Amino acid sequence: MFRKSAGLGVGLVLVFTLAALIPGPVLGAGSGAPADTGKIAVSAWQAGLIALGYYLANSPWLFGLAFFTLYRPLVAGFFVGLILGDPAQGTLIGAAINVPYLGFISAGGTLPADASFAGWVGTTVALAGHLDPTKAIPIAFGLGLLGTIIFYARMSLDSIFAHWADARAEKADIGGVALMNWLPGQAFLFVASVVPVFLFALNGPSYVQDALDRLPLWTVNGLIIAGGILPALGIALNMRFIFRGSAIPYFFIGFIVWTATRGSLSLVVIAALGLALAYLHLTFVRPVVTATSEPDRELQSASAATSTAGSTAGSGAGSPAGSGAGSGVRVTRGDLLRSWALWTFFAHANYNYERLQGTGFAHAMTPIIKRLYTTPDEIRAALKRHLVFFNTEPNFGNIVHGTVIAMEEQRANGAPIDDDAINSVKSGLMGPLAGIGDTLSQSTITPILLALGIGIAGGTASGSAVPTLAGATGNPLGAIIYMILVSVVIVAIGYTAWMQGYARGRTFVTDILRSGTIDRVLVGAGVLGNMVLGALAAKFVVVNLAPTITISGAQLNIQAAVLDPLFPGALALGLVVLTWWLLRRVNPLVLLAIFLVGSILAAYPFFGPGQSNASDYSYQACTSSLLHPYSPCGAPPAPSAQP
Amino acid sequence: MSLRLVRIDDRLIHGQVVAGWLRALGAQRIVIVDDAAARDEFLREVLSLAAPSGVPVEVLDVAGGAARCIDLATSQEPVIVLARSPRTVLALRQAGVPIEVVDLGGLGAGPGRRRLHRTISVSSDELAELRELEQLGTRVEIRIVADDRPIALRSVDPAR
Repeated sequence: MFRKSAGLGVGLVLVFTLAALIPGPVLGAGSGAPADTGKIAVSAWQAGLIALGYYLANSPWLFGLAFFTLYRPLVAGFFVGLILGDPAQGTLIGAAINVPYLGFISAGGTLPADASFAGWVGTTVALAGHLDPTKAIPIAFGLGLLGTIIFYARMSLDSIFAHWADARAEKADIGGVALMNWLPGQAFLFVASVVPVFLFALNGPSYVQDALDRLPLWTVNGLIIAGGILPALGIALNMRFIFRGSAIPYFFIGFIVWTATRGSLSLVVIAALGLALAYLHLTFVRPVVTATSEPDRELQSASAATSTAGSTAGSGAGSPAGSGAGSGVRVTRGDLLRSWALWTFFAHANYNYERLQGTGFAHAMTPIIKRLYTTPDEIRAALKRHLVFFNTEPNFGNIVHGTVIAMEEQRANGAPIDDDAINSVKSGLMGPLAGIGDTLSQSTITPILLALGIGIAGGTASGSAVPTLAGATGNPLGAIIYMILVSVVIVAIGYTAWMQGYARGRTFVTDILRSGTIDRVLVGAGVLGNMVLGALAAKFVVVNLAPTITISGAQLNIQAAVLDPLFPGALALGLVVLTWWLLRRVNPLVLLAIFLVGSILAAYPFFGPGQSNASDYSYQACTSSLLHPYSPCGAPPAPSAQP
Repeated sequence: MSLRLVRIDDRLIHGQVVAGWLRALGAQRIVIVDDAAARDEFLREVLSLAAPSGVPVEVLDVAGGAARCIDLATSQEPVIVLARSPRTVLALRQAGVPIEVVDLGGLGAGPGRRRLHRTISVSSDELAELRELEQLGTRVEIRIVADDRPIALRSVDPAR
């Protein structure tokens, strides 16, 4: 996957670089240059800030929230816009770039594409180059594949620093282990991030602009067509998670609401409608059954209840101050909070192939170890115990940490808890909780909030039945609202899981899983998500057929004259559902390549002299290519710009 | 033949499985074959509740798992089989479970373990067991998530 995706990224960038180097006339580029040429000026300090932003997006310094905020192209677009002086347009571009990444998920050291590279560099290139957002989508996608190189370099190199941490643990050096979890990894990441992004930000816009000027116009049209089609891939990737069972109709409702109101409803309104429908759905259509009512689970629950009192139980025996174990050492609330904060910040500071979050776990345990253990032998043993391979979802999965802290506390006070007991809780729980946690945070909460933010950011009331981003105005509120919502939700989950894990241990795990709360959240979010995603599909997926038919002397565009009057947006909807169906059979990367090549081929004027031209918005002379940029050929042109 | 995926993963169920493979394959059932997990009621319950609702999870020991897998292999229901170690899969294979391909999805690093690819490390015993699986006609592939291109064990096996 890595070689393939990075290869594709390198290939795309090479094509652009070559095109930028070849003198214009060679490729027969038109004298009618594309409409969107403009002054390109990214100053060195601006490029520096953008590079810093990209680093921060991959760093631990924002309370571990960078992955949910700055990492996302929507947010990156807003900040690049701020840096370059046009936050509204930056947010619009970021939103457009983000749509193909709606199904983005990174689990257990895998990364399908570097969405943050696409966001930070892609927005810079598009904003400074005055490209319209549709054109930015495929260019940013190529950049995103290229960016995975940084991730994989870091995942490999950081394994070495885990061994440095081992050496510190051997010396019972608590601070040293903590330092090794963040300093070397982050120093490398800083250099590996800032240098390439700085150079890209400084030079990328003019390279891409030159390339676009030199490419034949039909290929540029192909790029615009790809910009309309790639969102279908992102939406379909996300549909793999939520487009299921009784939630499926809501996707179509969302789509139809958007097209029927011609995009004049804000996404907030559609989301509110989705929330209302989610409530009705949960009440009447699919009332959540709690786990215990299923016979085979009932059996297991009953036996689990008896074993909760067993010797290896991780239940923290109520409040830390309670349970009179005499003069034993206790973890204070401050220790718990410090430990939680360290984890939240630094869980992924030294993420690596060998241990994944292993050094992060040890780092988080440092306040606990300091409190509970005094002799070098104890400290050494505790540090080594927690430096081993570990990986979970770093928010919901915090139940593991809470439980382990409670076990360490009991152990320090003489309870017969050996290394095996602690290890088996870690290794037994980290997987299942990651499964639930990733489903919650990465494939439900984040994409739905993102879809909402993107919808708001994309502006409203384009006024045209034909979706177009060319003249739309962005709304920075979309990025800001998303950032606030996602941060609050993620921190709330992480904090609750940590504290409840400590206070109640395994009991909390079984209680929350049996209660059906998570299922209720997922089902409700599925309804809301389908609504918002459907609306987003209507807004961002653009398919414009070029072929015309002649009916009683009049030459009519098949789509504009026949299909759209019957069902507006039917082609876009069909494409999204087809993509979703294909994703079960075809690798997404293969599908991506097909879409890219297909888009460009579809723009080629095969059957006639007609020039499909990016600057030709008149649509009087229809070309004989298969797909058309911006709007169906023969249809009234979309408003190209707002005053 | 509907054992869509037989996967070796020391974390058993987690994000890659639930959010990745399960969706990609449209699997309807997960069978976990693990002696330790089958003995531990708490773990059994957690594992069974970790999959999305509507996807039943069975946690079985090797003997029970083998019988169940042979049974499921002939049904039409798409199933994912998870095991923590190569040894378990070898035992299943030797018990007559038809396994065409086994997927190495996650085997963590540690002392005495050799890294084959990214998050996949093996001990020398495990490597021997994997080779034995290949001799029995089961292809061994590294494929961490469904969207990855499979890598044959042969191409990363340090002995060849």
